[in-house]
Amino acid sequence: MSENKYAVLNTRVHNVDGYAKVTGRSTYTFDVKLPNMLYGKILRSPHPHAKILKIDYSEALKLPGVLTVATGKEDTLGVRQGIWRRYKDLCDEAILTVDKVRYIGEPVAAVAAVSEEIAEKALDLINVDYEVLPFVDDPMEAIKKEAPVIHEGFERNVNVTRQIAWGDVEDEMETADYIREDWFKLGGQHHMCMETRAAVASYTPDGKLTVWTSTQSAYYHQALLAGVLGLREGNIRVIAPYVGGGFGGKLELDGAQFCASILSMKCCKPVKVVFTREEDFIASKRRTPMYYYVRTGVKKDGTFCAREAKVFTNGGAYTGMGATALYLTGFFHSFPYRWKAYRYDGYRVYTNSLPSTSMRGFGAPQAMFCSEQQIDWIASDLGLDPIEMRRKNGHYEGYEVPGQATIASCGLDQCLTKIQEWVKSKGKLPKNRSIGISAAGFMSGGIFNWFDSPYSFSSAVVTINYDGTVELHVGAQEIGQGSSTTLALICAEALGVKLEDIKVHMGDTDHSPADLGAWGSRQTLMAGNATKMAAEDAKRQLLEFANAKLGFNIIYDLDIRQGWVYNVARPERGMSYYDLCKEALRGKEGQRIIGRGFYTPRRKGMISPAYSYMVQGLDVEIDPETGHIKIHESVTAHDCGQPINTLGLIGQLEGAASMAIGFGYYEYLPVEDGKVMNPNLVDYKLIRAPEMPDCHVIEIDTYEPEGPYGAKEAGEGLTNPHAAALGNAIFHGTGLQMKEAPIRAEAIAKAWKEKQEKGTEKKKK
Amino acid sequence: MEKKLLRFSVNEVPYEIYINPKTLLVEAIRDHVGLTGTKRGCETVSCGVCTVMVNGMAVKGCSILAMQVDGMNVTTVEGLEKNGKLDPIQTAFLDEGAFQCGFCTSGMLMMAKAFLNETPKPKDEMEIRRGMEGNLCRCTGYNSIIRSIAAVASGKYREDK
Amino acid sequence: MIHDFTYLQPGSVKEALAMLAEHKDECKIICGGQSLLIVMRQGLVQTDYLMDIKRLNELNYIKYEKKDGLKIGATTTHRAIEKSDVVAKNYPILVDMEHKLASIQVRNWGTIGGNLAHADAAGDPAPVLIALDASVKVGSAKGERTLPLEEFYTDLFETAMEPGEMILEVQVPTPAPKTATMYQKFNLLESDQGIVAVAVTITMEGDACKAARIILGNAGSTPVRAKKAEAVLVGKKPTDALFEKAGEAAAEECEPVGDIHASEEYRRHLIKVLTRRMAKAAFEQAKG
Repeated sequence: MSENKYAVLNTRVHNVDGYAKVTGRSTYTFDVKLPNMLYGKILRSPHPHAKILKIDYSEALKLPGVLTVATGKEDTLGVRQGIWRRYKDLCDEAILTVDKVRYIGEPVAAVAAVSEEIAEKALDLINVDYEVLPFVDDPMEAIKKEAPVIHEGFERNVNVTRQIAWGDVEDEMETADYIREDWFKLGGQHHMCMETRAAVASYTPDGKLTVWTSTQSAYYHQALLAGVLGLREGNIRVIAPYVGGGFGGKLELDGAQFCASILSMKCCKPVKVVFTREEDFIASKRRTPMYYYVRTGVKKDGTFCAREAKVFTNGGAYTGMGATALYLTGFFHSFPYRWKAYRYDGYRVYTNSLPSTSMRGFGAPQAMFCSEQQIDWIASDLGLDPIEMRRKNGHYEGYEVPGQATIASCGLDQCLTKIQEWVKSKGKLPKNRSIGISAAGFMSGGIFNWFDSPYSFSSAVVTINYDGTVELHVGAQEIGQGSSTTLALICAEALGVKLEDIKVHMGDTDHSPADLGAWGSRQTLMAGNATKMAAEDAKRQLLEFANAKLGFNIIYDLDIRQGWVYNVARPERGMSYYDLCKEALRGKEGQRIIGRGFYTPRRKGMISPAYSYMVQGLDVEIDPETGHIKIHESVTAHDCGQPINTLGLIGQLEGAASMAIGFGYYEYLPVEDGKVMNPNLVDYKLIRAPEMPDCHVIEIDTYEPEGPYGAKEAGEGLTNPHAAALGNAIFHGTGLQMKEAPIRAEAIAKAWKEKQEKGTEKKKK
Repeated sequence: MEKKLLRFSVNEVPYEIYINPKTLLVEAIRDHVGLTGTKRGCETVSCGVCTVMVNGMAVKGCSILAMQVDGMNVTTVEGLEKNGKLDPIQTAFLDEGAFQCGFCTSGMLMMAKAFLNETPKPKDEMEIRRGMEGNLCRCTGYNSIIRSIAAVASGKYREDK
Repeated sequence: MIHDFTYLQPGSVKEALAMLAEHKDECKIICGGQSLLIVMRQGLVQTDYLMDIKRLNELNYIKYEKKDGLKIGATTTHRAIEKSDVVAKNYPILVDMEHKLASIQVRNWGTIGGNLAHADAAGDPAPVLIALDASVKVGSAKGERTLPLEEFYTDLFETAMEPGEMILEVQVPTPAPKTATMYQKFNLLESDQGIVAVAVTITMEGDACKAARIILGNAGSTPVRAKKAEAVLVGKKPTDALFEKAGEAAAEECEPVGDIHASEEYRRHLIKVLTRRMAKAAFEQAKG
């Protein structure tokens, strides 16, 4: 492990929001209370598919305490919006729907009243006449000719298609010694943020709108609201107070911001809309459920030849970010291996159910569940070592994924070695215990701009004050993933100051530079680069004064570290950064020193400027008779380039593990006849402290040239491998091949029983 | 609906409020007393973000009628610090990074504090995990929280006490 | 949303029973409220009067005497039972069961009386207490009566209590010598209610099983006494094959309902497996 050459990077520091969060001072949208504030509640469709014929809310208006009711037809522009703004046909969701409902829970009307209770009572007084339409909630049914049409103009309800291909799959399959094909079914999952969706909107008579909301991108919400409300972006201020989790579910405009805004615009008072937990389950969006067909051809020595995948995803009623998930699942299904030929055909299909969107991993957990299990099964079929087979075919630094990406840094091989060592160190396992492993990789932000933003993807402004304190303005959104601390660390490192000198400002479109926000694992690399650039700009300006003041020979370099401005060749010679700041500002006519930075990836392939790598191992105890699983240990060998925020990294790893294990085993989200069957925390199972395994990380040292200080993403990629690792543990422990995620205890018990019965039959014969 | 008088203390400060008897303890704390550190996250007594202490016992504020704490002392997260000096469990959370989005943190701190008051020397890590079973966290995966509690139990912050 | 109610706070059991006699069906009782408030919030329960008995310390006690057994007052919290030395010493299975019941927060405020009165077929205490041959004493303004817990449940969320009655006490007899009770519920998360649950009490005489009580939880609208499964064991020398047979019998003599968590078939399978395992475990412990 190399010594830390950095002053503050990769050291254990207190989170910059720490004091607020551990003392109850962090206020969330959930806590926002304004004078004259009303409470909004949303009437939701009980039908998966229906025309709205008439909405009569006259009785609701009579209820004392009710101020106004809004409907899509009367009170909105009827704009069908979407986050894929470049593709108008994918902007398909009006949120407060005008003519038709397409999923159970879709907003139909909204009420503003002086109390939550009165608003809720008012909902019961709104009469909606529906013409119920036939519905379809499974993509394989929705794609049939005779299926009901959910959106006009989308034949067979196919919403988006995607293809990723290189080489000739059939030719390469010819050269394969062994071909295996399998069908998999991936369930959805819910973000289950601890803070439900929430917004407070305040429209004032001067035509300005301020919206406090729990969001992953204040800028996205500002721009999207402008589009649907017919206001100028600049007249909308979006403020993200502390955000209680996002995980991909709080990027798009949802009923909370939209209905709160519409209601506020109607009565010119602040309106607060907070989803109940049940609403959050049924009326937000979920991880995309998928049907996955995988055909893989390999040589008998384990060399990968070709892979073909056909995927049908359950898009739900609207597009959301689901189009991106369709693309990324197809790309990461090839990860992290070299395929001579690869072909992915993805179809996103509309259904009358909960819309599907981005969720941590963004299509990759689904892809890995299929790919990494099948690889273990192939290894077993051929009698090969599963780790060595992966090593033989793995990515390496400099590899080009044909037409898609150049891998500039890759620690996969070292990751495989570390896990191999761990497996060996485990020795002989007790009865009913087995180990499963899975490799994975992920992007550090996407290169795509389907949002059609005219702004740099990330921007930062660093302002140095008289006393040396630093204001760091970024658009990067803190949602718990630690971006504020990470960016503060990068700023402190680049500028040469202490972490406590930095104040991070974000989450307010009036003050923060535009940034695409917290998704796709982009902020460490992209906002980090912008921050580093801004800090270095400010430092350069400051060092001009240092040069003048210190009068060193021009051949010498100056730098700043931990508040000390110094001659790089003779570090003991220099001056205090704090003293320098005082003098510099005078030199600038009393103006503060301002550094600017920005970053947009260009010419970086089709997906991402950089990729993280990892290999995950799980030590699992299985009771095959009942299907009960206990995970004893999670070990991850992980390459994120240069770790920036040590505690943040560990936290991201463990948090990702909990969510990924949920995807693999606990979090069953059944939707029947369009209805979410378990919209509460009794029936939707989240892993709890007693079930959470010990997690160990082994960091692999690499350097990513595109990332700030060599850093790349950490936290989302780590959601990708666990479900597959669990499946592989089950396979190695019981021989069962589980093709559905989440892997249900009942499925294990059933498969085990059938296996025993087959074995008994064989014995009898 | 006739309102009822509730006399109770919150963080040792006496309050008198008139409430509809169906008011839940968490509503009394947040809406009537005005302390928003305690959160709500579900309707089924599942998530634990509303955890506070009543006469030192950890309870979920969403599952108790406020009237039931008449004459009792309720401790919320705001009551952990003493004139700006953090409780050891708060410092431990900072040192271990035992929070991310922070929404569950108030409830976690209260449960951790109540647990340590009752069980200052847990016999093993699983006992701590079981103690925290009632509190959900979506961000951390719990382990950093468990480490914080174990650190306090080990006496690491004894000088601060 | 909870509907408005008139809040009653009796100062004594006598006062509480008088209030119940006066308001009858229009009055619901709240004690810990850990189950009741959820269903009230969902609108499944609406009541004109809510009588709060949380402060009735008259009913907050744990008493034990070797000949009479254990007596627990209705307003005793789960946590008090969990932490009771006398329960740990004499009925450790009750401590085990409480230890995995919901969370510490719920156990700190929720009570045994409230839990039993709620009559949730998936509740933990009832199967264990029935396996221990417990009885429940109920009272009304007219008087008191005691009935076996086994007879206390009539349907899902329904008990044999008449209007005006409330639970006063749970009574658990001293077990016979060479008796052991084991309990296991099946769930993904250890403190969840069981998808199914099995409680088994075995009393040995010599090397044969003298008596058996097999109670199935969440396998019907009320806890199920698996009499046929018991009959497999009673009077016999317990063997693995016999435990297997008992499990099979138990799986057949219940009415589990399938839902999103588990199909009916799987529940029966789990009953079979858990009965076999718990019968064996109880036997191992009973024989000493």
